[in-house]
Amino acid sequence: MGTETETRAPSGESTLLTDLTDFFRTRPRLKKLAIAGPPYGVLIGFFLLPLVAMLVISFQEGQINGPWTLANYTNFLGSQTYLTVVWRTLVITVQVTVLVTVVGYTLAYSIVRFSRRATLLLLLVILPFWTSYIIRMYAWINILQSGGVLDSTLQLFSLPSVGLLYTQPAVMIGFTYVWLPLAVLPFYASLTNMDADLIEAAKDLGAGPIKTFFTVTLPMTKNGVITGVILVFIPTFGSFITPRLLGGTNNIMIGMVIENQFKSAFNWPFGAAIGIVISVVVVLLLVAGARGGGNLFGSSGGERT
Amino acid sequence: MSRKQSFGRREVLKTTGAALATGAVAGCLGGGGGGSGGDRVPMDITEWPPEEYSSNLNMMNWYDSWAEWAMEEFGNEYDVEVTNEGFSSPDQWYSRLQAGNTEIDNIAATTNWVERSINNDFLHELPVDIMPAWENVTDNIKEASSYQQDGSTYAIPEALVLYPLTYNTDHFDAAPESWGVLWDESLEGEIMMWDNSTVSCQIAAMYTGQDPISPSDFDEIEEVLKQQKPLLRTYWGDYEQGMQLFVNEDVVAGPLTMGRTYTARFSEGAPVNYTAPEEGAMFTSDLFVIPKGAPNPITSLLFTNWASEKPNAAQLFETMGYKPGVDIQSELSEQDREFTTWPSDWNLVFSETLSDDVRSRYDEIWTAVKAA
Repeated sequence: MGTETETRAPSGESTLLTDLTDFFRTRPRLKKLAIAGPPYGVLIGFFLLPLVAMLVISFQEGQINGPWTLANYTNFLGSQTYLTVVWRTLVITVQVTVLVTVVGYTLAYSIVRFSRRATLLLLLVILPFWTSYIIRMYAWINILQSGGVLDSTLQLFSLPSVGLLYTQPAVMIGFTYVWLPLAVLPFYASLTNMDADLIEAAKDLGAGPIKTFFTVTLPMTKNGVITGVILVFIPTFGSFITPRLLGGTNNIMIGMVIENQFKSAFNWPFGAAIGIVISVVVVLLLVAGARGGGNLFGSSGGERT
Repeated sequence: MSRKQSFGRREVLKTTGAALATGAVAGCLGGGGGGSGGDRVPMDITEWPPEEYSSNLNMMNWYDSWAEWAMEEFGNEYDVEVTNEGFSSPDQWYSRLQAGNTEIDNIAATTNWVERSINNDFLHELPVDIMPAWENVTDNIKEASSYQQDGSTYAIPEALVLYPLTYNTDHFDAAPESWGVLWDESLEGEIMMWDNSTVSCQIAAMYTGQDPISPSDFDEIEEVLKQQKPLLRTYWGDYEQGMQLFVNEDVVAGPLTMGRTYTARFSEGAPVNYTAPEEGAMFTSDLFVIPKGAPNPITSLLFTNWASEKPNAAQLFETMGYKPGVDIQSELSEQDREFTTWPSDWNLVFSETLSDDVRSRYDEIWTAVKAA
């Protein structure tokens, strides 16, 4: 074996690499562990353990290391106030998700089907991510406030001012702007992978543009749509900065309540309990949504084979 | 007091460093401060100035502009490399103290969090009796906090933070006399509240004639806050946002800190001023503390004393607009002196740490109001 190694590997470095390769070749279990271990380690260290820690804290009373209790969960689930906030958050999240999905899908479809500069347009879509979230929100404040960029532009055309800041539409605009790139990328990927000949075939068989879209294009890009929806739904549900900076007095979301428990009320266990409940709710909603989405799009699959 | 030594400090540090290291190994450095660098702790200092100190200082100070100035001035004066990490919420540094601090030397902390830190044994006691700048701290400010416990002092006041009623001077001929202006229906859409459960509920408590620290009727507080909600433009949650609402003249009255009012008026040119309504206004203090585990505790002590010298404290006011913990009247322009003087008849209420029950009730009320 040593002679073979020397023949194949002219340098010491290559010899080491070859030895390492041979070492793992004869130990398949160790090889799997070496490949899968690091990502599992990251997931356990940075996701599972914090989640378990949060779960433990949520059963403590008043403070970390306090006595064990179920009160945090019963107080939250038994309070009409908190349940109202959850419902309001859910409504806003669904509205945002639908809006972003429609706008994002249209944008991605246009880029794929009608543009010759797809890379440039995608870059422009991603570009806002290079700027801090907070700075982007303040930019929107400047645009939407009374006498801001939007109002000034409207005045140029002798249109009345709208003063959108601190309203529900301002929150929707902010969310749509922030999450649009997250949705466009998976939409774009799924549309790019779709076989365009199928659209032509549908047309040849007499389907109009709308019927072609709903029977061919949308089902074929189902996975991309679901991915985009998940990427928008989850961060919107837990969001607190956008409604706080752009919204008025009727835009409370559950993320703001959780933040308040940690920063102002100093009741970390209660905040942790709300976080756990909300995480469960979001997972259940997404599972239900994914299943419902599958039925909605029919059984035509969605994978290009 | 001679701040600059006439011989090479670094040489001294190198020489004494070796001796200190030997001492540390021998276990001769008592104090139990938890310092990771084997350095002395503040209470080991018996004479001022400290003979030796390290050449680094890591601050966490949320007065960003002042901190930037102080880093350079203090660094040059004492030949120390200074870094500052800003923060927007005290829980950012508190969680690091909980995790066992090994990095932060000096924090500009807020009263309630200082008390929590003392109770959890996170802070070094300070030898204020030998610190020259301690004499600069005014007596009423020394008494206005809970950073002194069981005869020990754990902090030096950096600034007093007033939560006044800020108002547009073009709209009001005179300062509003009551928090009732925030319930004035004629001002619908031109007033705002702070998205802070404690501050907002305390304002409502004062408005309804209750003790904001220990209110007697929580239902009344919730009721008036719900009545107020339709009149508001927004609940602001970010200091910059709160200030810009006044700068853009979107609102004419609302709670804002004294410092932000100062910035809005003198840096942004907004027609604003502040007042303490007759029902009272809350105030708290920000304080310099040295956390246990600080790698450079003696340098941190030196900095704390330096920052409480009058010219340096005056700089804090001129850059941030918050009233320093030391008397700086002689250092200020007439305009600044007028702005920073609080009339003696103002009813100022120190923002004591709330009981768990009151804090919890305030939080529930605020959530209910916002969800209404």
